[in-house]
Amino acid sequence: MTKAEIASTLDCRGLLCPIPIIKLSKAVKGVEVGAVIEMLATDPGSVPDMEAFEKQTGHRVLDRTEANGVFRFLVQRAK
Amino acid sequence: MDRDARRILYVQTTGTESPERSATVFFLAASAAALDIEVGIYFTQFGPTLLQRGVPEALQAKRGGATLGHFMDQARDLGVRFYVCQPSLDLNNLKMGDLIEGVEMIGGAAFNNLALEADRVICF
Repeated sequence: MTKAEIASTLDCRGLLCPIPIIKLSKAVKGVEVGAVIEMLATDPGSVPDMEAFEKQTGHRVLDRTEANGVFRFLVQRAK
Repeated sequence: MDRDARRILYVQTTGTESPERSATVFFLAASAAALDIEVGIYFTQFGPTLLQRGVPEALQAKRGGATLGHFMDQARDLGVRFYVCQPSLDLNNLKMGDLIEGVEMIGGAAFNNLALEADRVICF
C-alpha cells in the first residue's frame, strides 16, 4: 500500500484505552467508504481493540505492523 | 432504534461514596459506542448520585486524574444514553431537577424490557 492511498493519519501515540478506538471511530465516519486511515498507537491494548473494532463494525484492518513500540494499522471504511 | 444494531446495557450501582468505582462504566460504554453498539447506562441504588449537578466536574475516580465529567462527556458524545428510575432517586433524596441535563426517567418495567432487548447486560 502506498502512502498516496492513505486518506488521513490518526496519531494516537501516547494515548491510552479507550481514546484511540474512540478517535478511530470518529475518524472513520469522517472519510468516504473505501478510504484508508493510517492509525498509529503505542498502547499494547490497541492490538486486541483493533481486532474487536474490525469484528464489531465491519471496517477492515488491512495491515498491522509494529516498529520500536509503535503499532501502525491501516483501516478501511467498509460501509 | 436500529433493529440490526447490537446493544449493551450497563447497570451502575455505586455512586459518590466510591469514586474509584465511578469511571469504569463510562470508559466501557464509550468503547462500546465506538464500535457502533447501542449503549445505555441504568443508574440504580447509589448510581444516581453520580448524575447530580456539580458532581461530574468535581469527582475524580483517581486522585489527581481527570474528572468524572470528562469520561461522562466522552460517552455521551458517542450517543450513550443515561437512565434512572424514581425509586433510585428517592433512595438518594434526589429529584430529576437535581440531575445533569439529558438523563431519561424510566420505570422498572422499561428497565427489564431494555435488559431483554439488549444483547448483554453488564453490572457494576
